[in-house]
Amino acid sequence: MIKSIKTTLGLATIIILSTMFITACSSQNPPLEKSGAQLWGENCVRCHNAPSPSAFSDNQWETVAMHMKIRANLNSSETAEIVEFLQMAN
Amino acid sequence: MKYITTLLITICVSVYGQDYSDLLKKIESSKPGDSQFLLRGYAHSGYEKRGEESSFVGGSFNPIFLWRQSDKLLFEAELELELEHGETALALEYANMAYELRDNLTVRVGMFLLPFGTFSERLHPRWINRLPSSPLGFGHDPIGPMRDMGIELRGNTKLGSRSLSYSLYSTNGPSLNDGEDHDLSEDEAGMLNYLNFEDNNSNKAIGGRLGIFPLASPALELGFSGQIAEVGNHETEYENTAANLYALDMSYVNNIIFLKGVVDLKGQLNQINVDDESYFSDEDSSSYSFLNQSQASYLQASFRPAYVRNSFVKNLEIVGRYSQIETPEGALWESNQSQYVVGLNYWLDWRTVLKIAYQVNESSAAGGHVEEDEHGDEGGDNAILIHWAFGF
Ligand code: HEC
Repeated sequence: MIKSIKTTLGLATIIILSTMFITACSSQNPPLEKSGAQLWGENCVRCHNAPSPSAFSDNQWETVAMHMKIRANLNSSETAEIVEFLQMAN
Repeated sequence: MKYITTLLITICVSVYGQDYSDLLKKIESSKPGDSQFLLRGYAHSGYEKRGEESSFVGGSFNPIFLWRQSDKLLFEAELELELEHGETALALEYANMAYELRDNLTVRVGMFLLPFGTFSERLHPRWINRLPSSPLGFGHDPIGPMRDMGIELRGNTKLGSRSLSYSLYSTNGPSLNDGEDHDLSEDEAGMLNYLNFEDNNSNKAIGGRLGIFPLASPALELGFSGQIAEVGNHETEYENTAANLYALDMSYVNNIIFLKGVVDLKGQLNQINVDDESYFSDEDSSSYSFLNQSQASYLQASFRPAYVRNSFVKNLEIVGRYSQIETPEGALWESNQSQYVVGLNYWLDWRTVLKIAYQVNESSAAGGHVEEDEHGDEGGDNAILIHWAFGF
């Protein structure tokens, strides 16, 4: 039982790792169609209420966004769009 | 298992060698003044009436320290300060460094909240949790890991307009209470201890989570997590005892126009399977064994009429949650409990909330593992909980 679970998990790991390789090494993501405001509206409400742009200064948004990018598995281009929107609207 | 751990580290170090040497250069050349520092965190306090007993509770706060060393390097740490049995307790919740290897891939090293389901990593902070209590099995003495020490790769990828997020980690992993360690309760033999910060064996846990966003917007996320580890103490008969842990989670958050509000659904199911072993009972000097499987799950729904005109009503939110916990039949910590909670919240701003909830507990077999409230009191009675939580 444990053996077969280990094999399955091993296989799953290999699949995940290869996906990571392919996606990490492939060229950039397709161009983003969504605006920073839309990305903010859709993503920043998933776990908690979305903070309004005026909640932080430009510098603070950079740090918060990096924190959230990691926590929420966002990619850099999406995060950059969101930061740009927040810094423009604060 | 060792192979996978080495592979994870090798990927970070060799395949991304370029970035790694960049990282070293950055660390060497960065001046303290280069980092952006942000101090945030959260606090809570409240009043609870459980059965005949009532008490003011909380007064705890969690500072969060963020150092953004460059646009690729972030250090995050959280402390928890609270009163425990009349003494001030200070705990390190997490402390880790994250480095962005690629646009969509980050490596983390240190102690981090585990992406085993979502409650621990995303939903447990007091200002985020929509109810004053944690679901059964997700608070103290959890059924499933909440944080650990190790290395993790995480990122996301796009499949057309859909996205997929992933995390893969290797950590010390849980340790098995084999009933022979005098620091742990003999009555809890067979239970996993997740605070295994100095590994009890050379085997490392491997785990991960895959998050799928089936819709074009990220409103709906379905998550699948797994972790496998040998959990027995080194050089004991339990050395090869293994544990397989699985979790399913879901999240749906969307604006419902005709209801003029936001609907938020969250849920998670944790399943823990530990190899069957026999344990020794000092009380009647005999061995006993049981099918060592535990389960905890919850489902929560909330609604906030955020788009109505009335400025008082738009800040109200109603919440309901069902949770259940089941630990092995035949273990000295056997239990089978369920809980219903309904709550009403008032949001003063996006991260400050007043929560009032009524909690009903049902228990059909309560052994050693009775879910406890934050002071370690047994939470068997129905309760009224009034909390105030504040993120900053
Ligand atoms: C996957 C869930 C998730 C998503 C999506 C998310 N957050 Fe967060 N956010 C959290 C958690 C969890 C915390 C609390 C951090 C902690 O306590 O460790 C937090 C904390 C914060 C804080 C407090 C300061 C800090 O950095 O801790 C801010 C501000 C914030 N989030 C903004 C955002 C913004 C802006 C977005 C959209 C880009 C966002 N969040 C998306 C989970 C999320």
